[in-house]
Amino acid sequence: MPMVERKLNITILTLVGILLLILFVGIPFYWVFNLSLTSEEEAYSPKLFPTNPTLNNYFDLFNPSKAAARAARFENFTGPLVNSTVVALIVTALSMLIGCLAAYNLARFNYRGKSYVSLYILFAYVFPPFFLMIPLNIVINMIRLGDTLIGLILAHLAYTVPFSTWILRGYFMGMPKDIEDSALVDGCSRFQALWRVVLPISAPGLVTAAIFSFTLSWDDLIFALVILSKAENYTLPLAISLFMQGGEVYAWGELAASTILATIPPVALYLLIQKYVISGLTGGAIKG
Amino acid sequence: MKLNKIADWLYVLPVLAVITIIFIIPLGYTFWISFQEKALGSGAKFIGLTNYYTILNSKIFYVIISNTLIYSFSAVFIKALIGLGVALLLNRKFPGRGVLRAFSIIPWAAPAFAVAFFFILLYDLKGLFNRILTYIGLPALRYLGPELAMPSVIFVNVWKGWPFFFLGFLSGLQAIPQEIYESAEIDGASRFKKLVYITLPNLKTVFFTVCLLSLMWTMGDFTTIYLLTGGGPLDRTLTIPVASYFKAFASGASIPQAASLLILVLPIYLILIYLVMKYAYGRT
Repeated sequence: MPMVERKLNITILTLVGILLLILFVGIPFYWVFNLSLTSEEEAYSPKLFPTNPTLNNYFDLFNPSKAAARAARFENFTGPLVNSTVVALIVTALSMLIGCLAAYNLARFNYRGKSYVSLYILFAYVFPPFFLMIPLNIVINMIRLGDTLIGLILAHLAYTVPFSTWILRGYFMGMPKDIEDSALVDGCSRFQALWRVVLPISAPGLVTAAIFSFTLSWDDLIFALVILSKAENYTLPLAISLFMQGGEVYAWGELAASTILATIPPVALYLLIQKYVISGLTGGAIKG
Repeated sequence: MKLNKIADWLYVLPVLAVITIIFIIPLGYTFWISFQEKALGSGAKFIGLTNYYTILNSKIFYVIISNTLIYSFSAVFIKALIGLGVALLLNRKFPGRGVLRAFSIIPWAAPAFAVAFFFILLYDLKGLFNRILTYIGLPALRYLGPELAMPSVIFVNVWKGWPFFFLGFLSGLQAIPQEIYESAEIDGASRFKKLVYITLPNLKTVFFTVCLLSLMWTMGDFTTIYLLTGGGPLDRTLTIPVASYFKAFASGASIPQAASLLILVLPIYLILIYLVMKYAYGRT
């Protein structure tokens, strides 16, 4: 009898925990999603459920004729969406290329000075990027890349390259050596072994590092603020901040819809790699 | 043989070049600017430690350091508590556990700027939180007003950041051998005793790793506060990253003074970087 009672207690506690968790995480998302479906008239006093749910807020983001009502600073959301995507994709490609080579070197080669190279990269990885806002603003202006997407890409590489190197290093170190050893015995060069043997079987590590690089670039606000000024170069976070003026929201529905749009890609990508997130971020220090 | 050694370096050359050119040299440049009167071109004039005196003599410098520490330490503490609670919860066996684990990491996967806008919508006078308060007959609150701004921005950071702790603790829990629990059960240990004597001690390394990393990231968090309060009202939420941005780029700002502000707070971050490198990554 006491046994049954205890079991019941645990189940109730678990249920309460689950309920609290769902509310804690779900409520903010629900409210923003709800607002994004609320019509302009109703947005002045939003209800818990929109009486006439509409997708107009999403369509309006891409509707040029709405631009005038929106401070007329940019035509529509297509530009910022394309800019953010292009910047993030190029940053990802470059940091993967550079990161793979370096990570393989750190995981497998033995030479004098390797530990210093590791420390140098780790230092850049853990260093908070905001310290770079002043010098990168000046340096990128100096080389005439101020207010260009190339300048923004360079700034992002400053932290995505050490990041992807460190993630991949952890991943390569956890891989068995046997397969590439036999490839090396068969006369493959180190580079061939990396290209033909190691990379094809490293898909989870590569995808994880690529997704981290992509989202680090996609999420950036500070370097976009510091480097970009023309509206045509705006990335998503800059464009979204235009829905606020002097701390006041003036387009509730569109602000909500644009943040939902900006959230979907990183969330979808992270759900793909959720198993590898923790071991990736800690460079293998914590196994996932 | 010698050629081989040179070839080894070719693999790390690109990464070293990137880090040196767009990371280390710019950092050094910050140091150089901090001794100048103006940041750009011919206006550059060496003025020694003047910028440092200006910063050290301003009251606001000490305010932003204490704000940064309050923001970071309380956010990390609460994130660790929630993360541990949810990890213990989702380590139990029940149907739908996998879905809940995936669901739980969504706030962390969402971009910081988007999360800040979520809470701008939630904290507003007609936002959800005030709707609930007025519904149950309480007065609406100004969440981003002077009294509540700091707790409110901490809450946003916590809401977004706790899943990282959850993920860390969960993998820590899964690494504890099941046999320890079984033998403790045979000895008649209660649930509470198992938690205190087996689970928590086994999470110690994971705990230090995730706390140090999160502390580093929270102390470098710019986006949340910049978008929610811009450091205000009355500088109540002005932290180091946000203050340096305004010092450098707001109207009437001074880049050299902002640079010396960054150099002055650098030791705080270097200590933390040292701890992170030694304790969070020391074992790899």
